[in-house]
Amino acid sequence: MESFFEWLQGLSIANWIATDETIWSFPLILFLHSVGMGLTAGVMFMICLRLVGVGRPLPVSSMRMLFKIFWAGFVLNAITGSLLFAAHATITGNQPIYYAKLTLIAVGVVLAVPLEKFVQSEGSDGSIPSLIRGLAAMALAVWVGVITTGRFIAYLQ
Amino acid sequence: MNLVHLHLLLNHVPTVGTIVAFGLLLLAFAKKSDDLLRGSFALFFAIALASLATYMTGHAAEAVMKNRPGYSAELIAVHQSAAFLALVFMEATGVAAWFGLWQARKPGGRSKWASPTVLLLSVITIALMANAANIGGEITHPEILAPGTRPSATSGALAPYALRGAQVRYYQFHHPNAWPTLEALHFIGLSLLFGVVLVGNLRILGFMRNAPFIDIHRLLPWGVLGFVINSVTGMLFFVGQAFQYIDNVAFHLKVLFMLLAGANVLYLTLFDDVWTLGTGDSAPATAKFLAASQIFLWLGVIYFGRMLPYIGGAF
Repeated sequence: MESFFEWLQGLSIANWIATDETIWSFPLILFLHSVGMGLTAGVMFMICLRLVGVGRPLPVSSMRMLFKIFWAGFVLNAITGSLLFAAHATITGNQPIYYAKLTLIAVGVVLAVPLEKFVQSEGSDGSIPSLIRGLAAMALAVWVGVITTGRFIAYLQ
Repeated sequence: MNLVHLHLLLNHVPTVGTIVAFGLLLLAFAKKSDDLLRGSFALFFAIALASLATYMTGHAAEAVMKNRPGYSAELIAVHQSAAFLALVFMEATGVAAWFGLWQARKPGGRSKWASPTVLLLSVITIALMANAANIGGEITHPEILAPGTRPSATSGALAPYALRGAQVRYYQFHHPNAWPTLEALHFIGLSLLFGVVLVGNLRILGFMRNAPFIDIHRLLPWGVLGFVINSVTGMLFFVGQAFQYIDNVAFHLKVLFMLLAGANVLYLTLFDDVWTLGTGDSAPATAKFLAASQIFLWLGVIYFGRMLPYIGGAF
């Protein structure tokens, strides 16, 4: 693994991100990563709150397009996150909290699949099955966890 | 004009402004006028936003004044903690006023408790602001003291020692996880706020059209919750580490964008344009413009927040 991290960090783009001193390298990618977080977690918070029962009169079907934002934010953060990781792979790659974050993201994405299937379905404006409510509550906690572990990566070095 | 000057201008907003808004509130009660009541709530909300800037420019003023001969660093510290306590009540008043405006938008509903809560909180705020302003006046205007008397300031209950910058700084690093926890909360609050900003403004822009705008109503307090989380954590960052923000251009722009975004929220609560949007309805152009600008302004807040270390050298 260590040699992979070293190879990754040695790539010219990774090297540029890590050493360039303008605001157009690491800072810009970090900003885009924050925006991606706002899109992914922010939109998922809204969908899950509604599925848990908050904001009841709002038709669940009106939230269908929000999944596009969720997935766009996710792709943006997969790219920007990989770039940020590559720049400091030998450090971040050895932090347990980084793997905790990746695991939580995987769970969050897996949870998004049945939630999306329900919201996109014909009957989504009817009653919300308790399984979906439960998964939505879990997803809320998981994305809070993703943000928290992500933030701690910067401080537990 | 520098930030000290700005502090001298802005310090009248929470002191005089709160009294004006309070007068308007009493007039609304006397006249039993819902319009005056909403006007008073909107004023409290706006003053609460401006007070954040008033407080922060105070730290900039401190940095300039405290080492000059004739100025007491202790008196400034007491003024600052008194002002911080007053700010906490000012923000609570602003949040209660926003809830009053929000309740008034509820179909068929107007809250019974919003007015008395705002009344009570604003009375406390006026008293605490007067106390903070009085101590503040003694810093630069010794002529207001009676001959032979010393400044009245003490760090008693009205200027708690626990709210001093040095104390907050101590808490921030006393436990290794304190600062990262505040950071994590700040980003959770960001996501919550940004989620509500997206949903509400996307509907105005013409997405999610099968939802009448009034149905978004219930989600709005979650955005305010995000804003409150971020004001509290943000102010704690600031109070403990003011030196790295007061001269930071990225920070000035972040606060400016935040205040503009806050003012933009008032449009939503005060005007009827969007509240009448039913299923499939399209919003007027003004509303769409303001909705797009609201999203842009919060992106700006995130941008300049993220740039604090890179443009301004904060950690």
